[in-house]
Order: sequence, then structure tokens, then C-alpha cells
Amino acid sequence: MKVIRHSRIPFIVTLLTLVFLYTPLVLVAIASFNASKYGGSWAGFSMKWYIKLFHEPDIWNALVKTLVIAVISTAISTVLGTLSALALHRSTSKLKAIYYALVHTPLVVPDILQGISLLLLFVTIFSVCSPLLAPLGIKMELGLTTIIIAHITFCMSYVTMVVLERLHEFDNSLIEAAQDLGASGLYTFFRVTLPLILPGIIAGALFAFMLSFDDFVITFFVKGAGDTTLPVYIQSAIRHGKNTAVLNALSVVFLILTFIIVFSGQKLLTMKTEEHK
Amino acid sequence: MKLRKFVNWIIGAPSFVWLVVFYAIPMLLVFLIAFKPVDPFGGIGKGFTMKTWFDLGNPSYPSIIWRTLWQGVVSTAVCVALSVPISYQLSRMNSKLKNVFLLLIIVPFWTNFLIRIYAWKMFLHPDGAFKHLLVFIGLAQESTTLLYNQWAVLVVMIYTYLPFAVLPIYTAAEKFDFSLLDAAKDLGASSFYAFRRVFLPSISKGIGTAIMVVLIPALGAYLIPDLVGGPTSELIGDKIAQRVFVDRNLPHASALSALLMFVVFLPLVLTSWIKKIQQKKQKSE
Amino acid sequence: MKHTLVSCAFALIAVVCLVSCGKPKQTLHIYNWGDYLADSVVEKFEKEFNCEVKIDVFDSNEAMYAKLKAGAGGYDIIVPSSYMAKTMYEQGMLADIDMSLLPNVSGNFDKSYENLVIDKEMKYTVPYFVSFTGIGYDPEKVKNFEPSWRMFEKPEIAKRCSLLNDQRETIGAALLTLGYDVNSTDQKQIDEAVALVNVWKKNIAKFEVDDAKRALATGEFYLIHNYSGDMIQVSMEKPAIKFIIPKEGGTVTFDCFAITSSSQNSKLAHDFINFMYRPDISAENMDEIGYVSPNTAAVALVSDEMKNNPVFNLPAEERAKCKPLLDLGADNEKYTKAWDKIREE
Repeated sequence: MKVIRHSRIPFIVTLLTLVFLYTPLVLVAIASFNASKYGGSWAGFSMKWYIKLFHEPDIWNALVKTLVIAVISTAISTVLGTLSALALHRSTSKLKAIYYALVHTPLVVPDILQGISLLLLFVTIFSVCSPLLAPLGIKMELGLTTIIIAHITFCMSYVTMVVLERLHEFDNSLIEAAQDLGASGLYTFFRVTLPLILPGIIAGALFAFMLSFDDFVITFFVKGAGDTTLPVYIQSAIRHGKNTAVLNALSVVFLILTFIIVFSGQKLLTMKTEEHK
Repeated sequence: MKLRKFVNWIIGAPSFVWLVVFYAIPMLLVFLIAFKPVDPFGGIGKGFTMKTWFDLGNPSYPSIIWRTLWQGVVSTAVCVALSVPISYQLSRMNSKLKNVFLLLIIVPFWTNFLIRIYAWKMFLHPDGAFKHLLVFIGLAQESTTLLYNQWAVLVVMIYTYLPFAVLPIYTAAEKFDFSLLDAAKDLGASSFYAFRRVFLPSISKGIGTAIMVVLIPALGAYLIPDLVGGPTSELIGDKIAQRVFVDRNLPHASALSALLMFVVFLPLVLTSWIKKIQQKKQKSE
Repeated sequence: MKHTLVSCAFALIAVVCLVSCGKPKQTLHIYNWGDYLADSVVEKFEKEFNCEVKIDVFDSNEAMYAKLKAGAGGYDIIVPSSYMAKTMYEQGMLADIDMSLLPNVSGNFDKSYENLVIDKEMKYTVPYFVSFTGIGYDPEKVKNFEPSWRMFEKPEIAKRCSLLNDQRETIGAALLTLGYDVNSTDQKQIDEAVALVNVWKKNIAKFEVDDAKRALATGEFYLIHNYSGDMIQVSMEKPAIKFIIPKEGGTVTFDCFAITSSSQNSKLAHDFINFMYRPDISAENMDEIGYVSPNTAAVALVSDEMKNNPVFNLPAEERAKCKPLLDLGADNEKYTKAWDKIREE
């Protein structure tokens, strides 16, 4: 048998791509230890930007706001998304195709379109309702509520898709067996279906949380006065060239956190698949 | 079975209604508002007009649309071209090494989008280390500027969207049976021929997904050209944002969005249409 | 595993609630230009009035106007330029100012600035800072500097310079270069100005305001179109940086405090404006920000270093070169259209 040689090209491409992916990030990490405020040239090693980062109330306020939005929209979108996945999975109705398209297309629509379309919706609703509500002293304006509505909308489809995939994976016969044995619908759901799709729900929720936590574009369209989430803060800092030294430190913290989350997520997933085996 | 249907309605209704109200209706609203006139103070006027649509015929728009399209297509092509060998490599690795590499590719994917763009802004700084390196090896002059042009936009787009392309292609490649490749080579096929005729067709579905998930956001890109682009590298996304945030011309922003939506949905509709035809063919055969 | 996840989630929610609740303080929302209000002054106000101040930042009058029009209610104080304030007042977006709540203003306002202000009776605005627009540059990098807008055509600084992303300012600079009135409403003159800006556009790196300052300070840009006080801030970082008014002329605008008609904290907003006119506070603010406030008592308290700064204390002949930007009413649209043409080509 002749020896089969594998081409080295794929390996080289992979390595070069990793270099491409990490060089800018490494440079930012190095810059975060630079004592110089604007980072033009090296002015010595310093941890002061990290210290400053932890004493910057604006960043902490923004973080809290981002977390509040992410937690609420994750909770609601996970419930709605899971329900819609179950409905889609069980449905045999003619509406299914439309429903599926409705769930699926938000995944591919550019975020700027979602942003502007929601803004137009809110503006239209406000212009219709404000005159009616004004005498009651209720004011409608862009703010946390509109941000959360927008986040739920774009997170929901992701949850549905992840849960739906999980539902497709496992055997329907399990549920049928349970029902044959006389279990009620609710009992089967809580005792059989839910535990089976729980990893999917958790993965979907995590996904939704990350998406909400990271979103800038849609938030920017529907936010009101003072709704500075962390991404909005970062964008403003980049746009206005303010506090860039602190921004470097913040980037490094983000990178490390992401690394830990993704790493433990991967560990969790491999654990799960091994259990199944 | 009637009960089952009823239960399905109950659990399906909330999210269905939510998506209709906060997704489908807003999208239709985009089209509707594009037919409304703008009042000089930034509100939406009364009545209907076709004026905004005629404004899109403005000679400067084709160049913006053209730039958006070619940047989208080129960045998608590069992302896919890089992702195929990477996925091939990843799926051939032993599982420990594979996990490490996968982790390394996924981390930038989950790192905040703005921070990745910011990193490039630092990286391409005219007095930065990278620029000095380029000057040192003679690839650039002191006066070369790396930032604020459409090439910077293109590179950063490839950078941010690359992990999106790797994941679906890798998922497809992992299911591929590599002994097929070896068999082809045993039968005398060259490595490249085997790769092209055996490996590529079997991951075509992953490639299709990758094209979708890179091309569509690339067409709607707004932050990247805004932060690393120059005065002549505007894309449709920037224009929409400018119409909303600076000019306060919502009808115009709507018309542009409708145009973008058309560009985005056209390939989607086309592919599903082609699939349907193919399925019909298969059935009739 | 499940339990850890659930308890983590609960812990997170608990933390979020703890941090976000328990703060019944009043909040004052300000929508301002970048680097236009000293942090130390804001802190003092927060302490003295036991409230919280939140500041959002805008780039141009148009962007601020658009955001407010988009339904971004909730701002109490905004800082538009005089000409924009007039449009907004006519639109019913601004509340009337109650001068009886502003003893510091009536006591300290420097009447010599009155001719630059559109709303002379302070019905809906209170002048905050006067700002001059010109060119900031790095003399070490720009050889053969000439005090002219024509600098933006020089290939030596190609892609190392920026113009403001503000339609009135940038088209205005071109109008001045061509020898026309900065408030011209003549379509032919505006068209010529557009053609000139388009020539400059090929040479510049970006239309930019605040980030251009960072870029100038780090050596990324060599020459920028910017505002006087902001250039003082850059020169605090990098003393070599200079600011001049081009020989063709520059612009001068008054940025004013205004209270939005949707403000829920009108009293606190008035308190803030009055606080900003207190001589010691106003002087501290000027020292930090580098713009001149029309406040007689405060200017006397400004540090000598700032007083002797020729950009802060612009000589009379330089001042005379600067023309105020006026409200153009319906003709404003000509500028919006012209700006569109510039951005699109």
C-alpha cells in the first residue's frame, strides 16, 4: 500500500488565520499595559488603566444596565422561544410554513434593518397613542422598555432554532411511549420532554444572553436618553476618542471573560455528549 | 387529536403574535413609510408620495450600492475560501487538539463586536507597530495610510465575519467520512482532485450556510465603515444610519432599507425556489 | 450542574436588583457636546443638590436634533448652538426659561456678547460657551503651514487631516474660502462650495469631531478642522499643538443651555444652569474645558495660564475674522441637500 501524503496547505492556512485573528487583540493587550494615555509610544509598564477601569462609575453603571436588559430579555425570549419550538415541532397545520419563516428570517436579516424597522414601529405607535395618553399623564418614549422589546425579538428566534434542533434529535417514540403508558400531556412534558430538551434550552438561553449583552446596533436605534449600555459606552468611547487607554484594559477583561465562558461551555458540551454515549 | 391542536395553538400563539407585532409589521412599515413624504422638520408628513423612490435614482446611489455589493461578495468569498481548508484541518485533527483550535476560533466570535473593530483601529494606526513593520520590510511608505479607506473596511469585515463562516463549514466537514478521500487517492486521484470532487461536494450545504451568514450581515454593515472607513467608503448601512441619526429623514431611510431588504431576501427566496424545483424533479423521477 | 446554573442565575438577578434599586435620587439628564463640561464641576453639582447627573454626547447639532425628534425624550438640558435652538423653539421642543430662578445669570452675564446671541432676551436659551472654529495643527509635522483653508488641498498632509462632520461648519469653511458669506443662501454659491469641499474630501482621512482630537494628539492626524476650546484641551496633552483662525475667516457660535419641553425636572435644570453661572464654578469649568463663558465675574477668576493663552483669549483682530452662523429657516434644507451631495459622491 502506498503512503498517502496529506497536504500541508490546510494546516498552514489555519495557523495563519489564527495569527490574523489574534495579532490585533494581542496588540491591544500590550497597549493596555502602556502608561501613555494615548498610546502613541511606549511609556513604561503600568497597571493603572486596570485600576482606573474598576473605579470608573460610568462603566459599572453601563454594565448593570446591560445585565438588567440581558437577564430580562433572556428570560422572556427563552420562554417564548421554547414554546414556539414545541409548537413548531408538533404542528401539522398549514400555518406552519409561515410560522417557520417568521421565526427563521430574523436570523438572517441584517441588524440595521431590525433596528430601523422597530424604530419606525415605535415612532408610529407613539404618534398615534401619545395624544390619547397625554391627558392621563402617561408618556411614551424610547427607553429601557423599547430596548428590551427589541432584544426579546431578535433573541427569540435563536432560542427557537436551538431548541428545535434538540427536539429533532431525540426520538419521538419516548414521548409516545409515555403517553401509551397513560401519562397525561402535562406529565409527559415535565417528566420526559423538558429534561430531554433542557440542554437545548440552556444553550439557547446562553446564546440569547450573549447576543443581548453584545448588541449595539439595534439598541442604538431604539434607545432613549441616558440608556448607556456597555456596547453603547464602548462605541461612544471609540467614536469620541475618549478614555481609549481604559478601553484597552476593558477589552482585555472582556477577552479573558469570553475565553473562560467559551471554555467552560465547551467542557459542558463535551461532558454532555459523553454522558449520552 | 383535537386537544393536541388546541394545545399547540395555545403554546404557539404568544411567540407568533410577538413576531407578527414586533417583526413582520415593522418590516412592512419600512415599505409603507418609504411612500410617505418627509416634513421639513424631520417628522413624517401626511399623504403619500413616490418622491423618495425617485430620489434613489440619484446618480450617487448606484456607486454606494455597487460598493456595498462588491465588498459583501469579496468578504464572503475570502471568508469561505479560508474556512474550507480550516474546517478540513480541524476535522482531521485528534479531538484534544481540535478542541483547542476550535476554542481559539470561537473566542473572537464571542468577543464583543465593537472591541474587535477597535482592536483593528489600534492595529492599523499610522504610527503603530504594524505600520512600522511594513515600512521596515519595504511594503509601505511613511506616508501610506492603512486606516480610513475601503480596504480597511474589507479587511475588518473579513476579520469579524470569518468565525461565522468557519462554524457551519466545520460542522459539515466533521460529518465527512475521510476514508473516502483516501480511497479516491488510492484509485490514483491527485490530492487536489480528490479534495475538489469528493470533499467539496459533501460540505456544500455548510458552504451554502456560510455564504448566507456572512453575505447578509456584510450587506447591512454599518459600524465597520463608520469606524474604520473614510469619507469615500460609505455603504448602504451607513447611509441608512445617517438618514436616521443626522438628517432625520425617515422616509428616505425606509426606502434605502427596503432596497437592502430586497437585496437580502432575493438570494433567500431564489435558493428556496431552486430547492423546491429540485425536489419536484426528484419526486417526478 | 443544573443547580449551580440556577443558583448562578438567581445570584446574578439579586446583584442586579441590589445595584439598580435603592437609589431614589433625582436624575438630571444632559445632552451635550463631547468634552464640554468638566467632570469635577458635575461632581460638585451632584453633591450640592443631592442628585445624579447623566450625560449623553452628540457630534453635531443635526445629530442631536434628529435624536430628539426620534422620540428620545428624557433629556432635561440640551446644549444646541444658537441657530439650532431657534429652530427647536419654533418647533415647541424647548421650554421657556424662568429668569427669576437664575440670579447668577442676570447678575453675571457679559452684555458685550449680546450681539452674537440670537435669543437676546434669554426666553428659551442661556448662553454657555462661545466657540470659534478654525484649524488645529502640529507644527512639527506640517511644514510650510499657511493660515488658510486651502491647507486641506495640500498633498503633504493627504489622509492625515480631517474636516468637521457638521454641514454648516464645513460648507461654511468652503464658502469663506471662496469669499462668500458664511450664511449664504444663494444656490450657486453653495454649489461652488460643495465642489470645493469635494476636492478637500479626496485629501482628508475622515469627517470627524471628537476622535480627530485624539488622532491629532497621537500623531495620527497632522491638521484638523476643529473648535477653539477643544484645541486647548489637545494642547494640554501635547503643548506643540497650535490653533489658528484661517485668513479667509472662521465661524463663531454660541452654544446655549436650553431646557426641553419634555423635561420632568425643570426646577433642577434651572438650578444647574444657575450653578454653572456661579463665578467659581464657571471659572473652574473654563480652566478645564478651554472655552470662554460670557460671565464677567468668572472670567476674572480664570487661572493666569488660561488667561494668557491666545486661543482662550482670542485677540480682537482674530475675533473679527469670525462670522456667526445664523438660523436660515426653510433655506436650511439647501445645506442638508448640499451635505448629502458631499457625503454621497
